[in-house]
Amino acid sequence: MNSWLTVAAVLLPIAGGILIPILPFRRRIHMEWYIEALVIATSVLVWCLLLHRPEELVLLRFTDQIVFTLRIDGLGTVFAGLISVLWPLAILYSYEYMTHEERERPFFMFYTATFGVTLGIAFAGNILTMYFFYELLTLVTIPLVIHTFTRDAVLAARKYIYFSMGGAAFGFIAVVFLLYYGGNTEFVLGGFLGSLPGGLNFNLVLAVFVIGFIGFSVKAAMFPFYSWLPDAGAAPTPVTALLHAVAVVKAGAFAVIRLTYYCFGTEMLIGTWAQKLVLSLAMFTIVFGCSMAVRETHLKRRLAFSTVSNLSYIIFGAAIMTTAGLAGALCHMVFHAIMKISAFFCSGAIMHQTDHHFIPDMDGFGRKMPWVYGAFTVSALGMMGVPGCCGFISKWLLAEAAIGAGTVWTWIGVAALLISALLTAIYMMTFVVRGFFPGKDFDYEKLRDVRDPNWKMILPLAVFSIAIVGFGLYSTPLTEFLSRVAAGLI
Amino acid sequence: MQIMLLCALFIPVLSGVVLLAVPEKWLPRERLRTLAVAVLFLTLAATVGVIFGYVMGQHTPLTLFHLTRQLSLVLRIDALGMLFLGFISFVWLLAGIFSLEYLNHETHERRFWGFYLLTLGALQGLSMAGNLVTMYLFFEMMTLVSMPLVLHAETHEAIMAGLKYMFYSMCGAYMALFGVFFLYYYCDTLDFTAGGVMTVQVWNQNSAILLVAVFLMIAGFGVKAGMFPMHAWLPTAHPVAPAPASAVLSAIIVKGGVLAIIRSVYYIVGAENIRASWVQNTWLVLALITIFLGSMLAYKEPVLKKRLAYSSVSQASYILLGLAFLNVGAMTGALLHIVFHAFIKTALFLSAGAIIYKTGKTRVNELRGIGKEMPVTIWCFTFVSLALIGIPPASGFISKWYLATGMLESGLPVFAWLGPVILLVSALLTAGYLLPVTIQGFLPGADYDYGKLVKHEPSAKMLVPLIILASGALIMGIFPGGLIRFLQQIAESVF
Repeated sequence: MNSWLTVAAVLLPIAGGILIPILPFRRRIHMEWYIEALVIATSVLVWCLLLHRPEELVLLRFTDQIVFTLRIDGLGTVFAGLISVLWPLAILYSYEYMTHEERERPFFMFYTATFGVTLGIAFAGNILTMYFFYELLTLVTIPLVIHTFTRDAVLAARKYIYFSMGGAAFGFIAVVFLLYYGGNTEFVLGGFLGSLPGGLNFNLVLAVFVIGFIGFSVKAAMFPFYSWLPDAGAAPTPVTALLHAVAVVKAGAFAVIRLTYYCFGTEMLIGTWAQKLVLSLAMFTIVFGCSMAVRETHLKRRLAFSTVSNLSYIIFGAAIMTTAGLAGALCHMVFHAIMKISAFFCSGAIMHQTDHHFIPDMDGFGRKMPWVYGAFTVSALGMMGVPGCCGFISKWLLAEAAIGAGTVWTWIGVAALLISALLTAIYMMTFVVRGFFPGKDFDYEKLRDVRDPNWKMILPLAVFSIAIVGFGLYSTPLTEFLSRVAAGLI
Repeated sequence: MQIMLLCALFIPVLSGVVLLAVPEKWLPRERLRTLAVAVLFLTLAATVGVIFGYVMGQHTPLTLFHLTRQLSLVLRIDALGMLFLGFISFVWLLAGIFSLEYLNHETHERRFWGFYLLTLGALQGLSMAGNLVTMYLFFEMMTLVSMPLVLHAETHEAIMAGLKYMFYSMCGAYMALFGVFFLYYYCDTLDFTAGGVMTVQVWNQNSAILLVAVFLMIAGFGVKAGMFPMHAWLPTAHPVAPAPASAVLSAIIVKGGVLAIIRSVYYIVGAENIRASWVQNTWLVLALITIFLGSMLAYKEPVLKKRLAYSSVSQASYILLGLAFLNVGAMTGALLHIVFHAFIKTALFLSAGAIIYKTGKTRVNELRGIGKEMPVTIWCFTFVSLALIGIPPASGFISKWYLATGMLESGLPVFAWLGPVILLVSALLTAGYLLPVTIQGFLPGADYDYGKLVKHEPSAKMLVPLIILASGALIMGIFPGGLIRFLQQIAESVF
């Protein structure tokens, strides 16, 4: 396909989004149709591009070293394919959710534009382009976090800015280092630094790597820079669900994978203190995030802490630095996206229907909202890694990779995964059980007005639940595709 | 005969799902009960079909589907699976018939039947699993679908017990999963093969981590079997369920954990590999502690159903102890005890349920004169008590005999004589915690007011299953020959 279509895919949602506040929609339904059509058109275009991959496109050439390129490779395919499936469903869900929020048009403007920016990250052909879109992603999502203008939201947005900008600044150190010593090289699986560049001290290179790794993983909420994510739950649920469980945080994980596998190269890093350091940070976050989720009683914050933990599964897989590890990480990236967006949509549906935010207030809701709670249960089982749900597959691949790496360090990671699975069972299932079984003397009269939301909210939930079980039972094509991506064959 | 494997699994699973899914008004109480019992009979028929097929020489595994290219779900029947399949669907049917009457004083009957059938399906799948991954799948499923049975009453206590049950079980399952991951990596296949699939070379090279893996599997699956130190959920969870559910939880689901241990130790790792290692010694110690601890706690417990649950803790560890000795004799004893204890414990819990249903009495010291009020029930209770204590010719004697002789033959230092001693002490305690019901029940003392005596004998729906179970426990003790030979063959095949 024509490589300029890559730019079109990035610009279409951005330009179309900017038009939303300007266009004179007479009725809300017209705006809904416009946005849905826009997003679906983008998704179709993205899928066409992924299936018929165009040549690399050099957009701008500032100097020899500073070049702006868009290119689609295997890793970008996974990320772009994932978000372009989720975005139309999330938009559908937002229509219903946003009926009780104000300032819809700016909201949808930024929400749609974010799609384009995220695609930019996926399609970026070199580290500088990726960095550009990475910063842009922070900027377009700030208005979404601050949207409600409550005090919490403002504080959360401020924190989000500090963390993201700070993280990006750290990442920038690695970017400059790579540009200086690697030249304007596009991403290559296996890294492009080659053997030690220019007689540098090896420990210095590793230190730069660690700085960049930690910097980019701020968006993926790795300990110690995780706390912006639970706070950002102050945003409307469609934002929390799509951006803070999938697009933004996975962009962080994506950047980390790019940095590790496509810039520095695993051959140089494996077995060094740098690998051990990032592995331990990831393993600690896996357990830490879950523990925080167990003690949290605010539903969305609990899910946010769960995201903290699950994102570190991905980072852990990436930090194993083997092909199998990367395949496991990508698999969890896809499956966690489906499971967590489903869980967040359920929590949003509950808030939308009842205005309750804390778990103790939600006793007995399961009886009145069977669809929502059913979907939540499926997603809970998935995240616990019950066989037959997709979470089991990705955990299996991660554990297999960790054992295959053959060091005690990664074996501890297997234990961390399982401890986290137990904690996941605790924080997800207590909520489910309280929802379905509030107790014998519970007064159902109190819940007279609690009921399932309409089809616009139910449809995405149903799709996600079917996907969770479907991938859990049959995932051979996907896992094989991902391991080929990880091996650089695609 | 492969279609029979599918029937034995999917009849209970699908009908359980249907019962839970259809609107309440389509299933008035009578139709619901007819349907549920019909499903139980059909499942038993399918099981008989599977067993018949196996005896006729149909051993081909049935691959359901592939999760990923390497992970497949396989159903396969072998002698051990046949044993479990047989007594599970039989006991399930009897407890189901008992429920027909018992559920009159419970609410949410549809939910009970739905999950009751689903749990049966999970256990059938567990027995027929052909590889470790399939077994793990059904093991997790068993936990999840049996939890609603535990919290059925929906009191605060029951809900908390249900959660405790689930979290303990999940903890165990994840410990075991750690082992599964490692075995998957180091074994060429995870298909169950008598004697194990681990090659000596691989074992010797990686024995340090593999021993940890095996130990975690034993301890993890052992959570389901109530093994110390993770036994605490059992006395909380079993008694709060409705009596038929506590019966199958305590008599059958506990055996799910035992089956999983047998499969991983004898059919994947191989008994020889862990012989004389720290794993075997720790396993022996934990089982011994659990036997003694369970019996002591049962002896001190005033509430009848709780007492029976503690008794399950202790009895399940008889089985684990027998397995831990890693020889033919003790393993035969363990397998015998699996079957006998299933019959005995179901009968005990059903009697306790009948007493609660008819009189509302839950504590042992309230049961004075109960034998005069419900003589048939208490006679059944007495017979199975004697069987559990191990008084010849009742069945428990046979299994304990094999356990004890197997232990003495093993030649292990200390454990060879400590095992039988603990068995005897525990038998004494068993007499101490079970017989008071009989003694007080039939001999209420001179000051008992016979004028107030009301006959409380339950109806045939409750009595018939009880009588069948009690006579089963007796008859198997009097004519154990065929069963012993069959189980001995299983035990010999894995060494």
